[in-house]
Amino acid sequence: MNVLAMILAGGTGPGLHVLTATRAEPAVPFGGKYRIIDFALSNCVNSDIYNVGVLTQYMPRTLNDHIRAGKPWDLDRAEGGVRLLQPYQGSPDGKGAWQEGSADAVRFNLDVLRESNAEQVLILAGNHIYKMNYQPMVEHHRMRKADVTVAVRAVSPHQTYRFGMVTADANGRITRFEEKPRRTRSTLASMGIYVFEARVLGDWLEGPGRSQRQLGADTILSLIKRKRVYAYTFEGYWANVGTIPAYYEANMALLADIPALDLSDPRWVIHTRSEQRPPVFLASEACVVGNLLCDGARIQGRVLRSVIGPGVVVAEGAEVRDSIIMNDTRIGVGAVVDRAIVDKEAVIGEGAQVGFGDDNTRNGALPQVLNTGITLVGKRAQVPANAVLGRNVVIGHGVTADAFPAGDVPSGTSI
Amino acid sequence: MRVVAMIMAGGAGTRLTVLSDKRAKPSVPFAGKYRIIDFTLSNCVNSHIYDVAILTQYRPHSLNEHIGIGKPWDLDRVRGGVRLLQPYQARGSQDWYSGTADAVYQNLNYLFNREADLALILSGDHIYKMDYRPMIAYHEEKGADATVAVMNVPLEETDRFGIMTTNKAGRIVEFHEKPKTRDKGTLANMGVYLFSVEKLAERLREGRKRKPDLDFGKHVIPGMVPTDRVYAHPFDGYWVDAGTVDAYWRTSLELCDPDSTLNLWDPQWVIRTRSQERPPVKCSAQAQIAHSLVSNGCTIHGRVEHSVLSPGVYVSLGAVVRDSVIMNDTWVGPGAVVDRAIVDKEVVVGSGVQLGHGDDMTPNQQLSDRLNTGITVVGKGAHIPASICIGRNVLIDADVDEADFALFGDNVVPSGASVAPGPAEISEEVGA
Repeated sequence: MNVLAMILAGGTGPGLHVLTATRAEPAVPFGGKYRIIDFALSNCVNSDIYNVGVLTQYMPRTLNDHIRAGKPWDLDRAEGGVRLLQPYQGSPDGKGAWQEGSADAVRFNLDVLRESNAEQVLILAGNHIYKMNYQPMVEHHRMRKADVTVAVRAVSPHQTYRFGMVTADANGRITRFEEKPRRTRSTLASMGIYVFEARVLGDWLEGPGRSQRQLGADTILSLIKRKRVYAYTFEGYWANVGTIPAYYEANMALLADIPALDLSDPRWVIHTRSEQRPPVFLASEACVVGNLLCDGARIQGRVLRSVIGPGVVVAEGAEVRDSIIMNDTRIGVGAVVDRAIVDKEAVIGEGAQVGFGDDNTRNGALPQVLNTGITLVGKRAQVPANAVLGRNVVIGHGVTADAFPAGDVPSGTSI
Repeated sequence: MRVVAMIMAGGAGTRLTVLSDKRAKPSVPFAGKYRIIDFTLSNCVNSHIYDVAILTQYRPHSLNEHIGIGKPWDLDRVRGGVRLLQPYQARGSQDWYSGTADAVYQNLNYLFNREADLALILSGDHIYKMDYRPMIAYHEEKGADATVAVMNVPLEETDRFGIMTTNKAGRIVEFHEKPKTRDKGTLANMGVYLFSVEKLAERLREGRKRKPDLDFGKHVIPGMVPTDRVYAHPFDGYWVDAGTVDAYWRTSLELCDPDSTLNLWDPQWVIRTRSQERPPVKCSAQAQIAHSLVSNGCTIHGRVEHSVLSPGVYVSLGAVVRDSVIMNDTWVGPGAVVDRAIVDKEVVVGSGVQLGHGDDMTPNQQLSDRLNTGITVVGKGAHIPASICIGRNVLIDADVDEADFALFGDNVVPSGASVAPGPAEISEEVGA
């Protein structure tokens, strides 16, 4: 199958705030040992697509380091394989420059598409959590001799404002596309996953659509009337984790007894770059209930309903509840962490309380991002001993103990 | 100085009973996700020795699979890297390796082709963390022909080891293999040897004429002590030969203690292994896990106490795993109790099974010298039928089926018994 996949991984991911302060959204850790992009990459290789371009722009270093030559996905290949595509400087013929949107990013990399001789290009987002076989979608596309196929799934009416909403006729041909409507009769949301005829996409982006910025809102919308644009319905689990509540919810969903997204399916392995870490160590006084625990973690305290990343240390008498703790963070003796997302290599001091009390005041600086009671602690932040942090609090990355005020940190504040 | 390491991985490891029935001892799983040879291999690369040969003979498939091209150890290299050296046929000779030194003798050409100055001879079945670089420096400083790593052992255990007596300069003046008397000192041979290649080749050629089953500890080193410059290099770190069922069990469970002397978490000395792609450990709302080491891919619904679990183990609701070592992808059924057992890979422990039950400590009738401390051992791929009660010191062979337990009445396998697979024809006749 001659398909090139392009994963859009260049966005700034404003919805994840401190988690994307030091890295691109697709490189944010997920489910303990994974990173968000592992799902799209693993879907590609599990669908026998071994020719993958990853389009980067914002804070790409973590992503570069994670993907490198693509070994964990068997993408270190002589033919095809994975390529990291960076923005490049403009040339006299108008190509290159910083990219302003998904259509722009693809336009600047059309030469990669042409050189690959792919018939179809599969456009994927780097911030979705799902398991999807792309083969049936490409088959569907070919059977209908479509120019564009858009993957869609049913959503409930209260969610339509987050998606591009699609209306299709009885044959599945798309007749209408509305970008993030408050009210609509359509129930099918575009997942941001497209199959394009390579030639059609190239001709459009360099021809009539040369000033378009967004693939969904601009390109698909204008192609509906001019080309054969079809919908392909996907029915499995799919989550866009571009906001803090969605990211938190998708992580917590993994803790269900029978999770909607099964990570232990031997026929659909999610590959990642695993570090060399010893097994999880549980001390005799440890108590763990309803968690995901990653290799290299050392648990001496209590951990309830949480996702614990590799190398995390939960010291004696500490308690972690309903939280996501990323790699190598240390929860000090007697500290309590409740409904929080703590990024990598952070230190929660002895006896500190993170996510304390009933006051759910939304975050002053980010009322739209943080209003559900989740507290965020950035990478390498140091919460001093015995500090008390309320809900919807944000501790920026790298914040040291001396930046904290003397008293409690009330709900809704940022440091 | 070019150093080439040669790891001896050909022995049968019979004292580990069923654990090494289907695999060489160096590839027996250890500490959950590792295999025994990982410690020696990681020592090599952490000591910046990137030219490593592994000498195999007994059941090498699992080892070959594990080593592959050496990727996890960064040994997939253009220059150097890891090589697996199997026994081979040549014109006029077609010999198996008949001893450790004989194995090296048959691969002397490998050392010459690599233009090695020094040969570091290692054993693939020891668990230890050792930087070989100080030993190499010591060897050169002393102008030695051979250097033997030694460690102090308690005086009452000297009869288990090769014991060295040294002079003030560290030169070995006497060597006694497993001495019965307690007056030879306490410096024990760790099975880590460094040779100057020229001298090694010379001594192996001479020695082989006299003895075909040449062994380093028994023949080569004692033969060199009177004539050559043989030095002892003291080592005081962690070193264990987990060569018996009891030692393997104890060494494994010591890792569950927070002050275990084998630190697997040292970022300066990472133990590398071939990790399978597995999801994080999942513990359900009913799970109770304490005092244990649990690997990725495990799913825990029941209770796990003081145990080491390899990747992919499933402990069902109401099951209890206590004081045990459970290897990859074994399934422990609902309500089953596993106590003081070593359970190999892909075993099915049926629901309600009592594995390791009661106070009867009768040693195993067939292997009373190897299974006598109350540990029950289950071989790879065995299926234990539901609700059966199995005593202590029981040996269950690899691949036994539910039907093989029919010999035991009342659903009870008494302490000290062994369960072996029945001949396939008979079970077919019974079925007919």
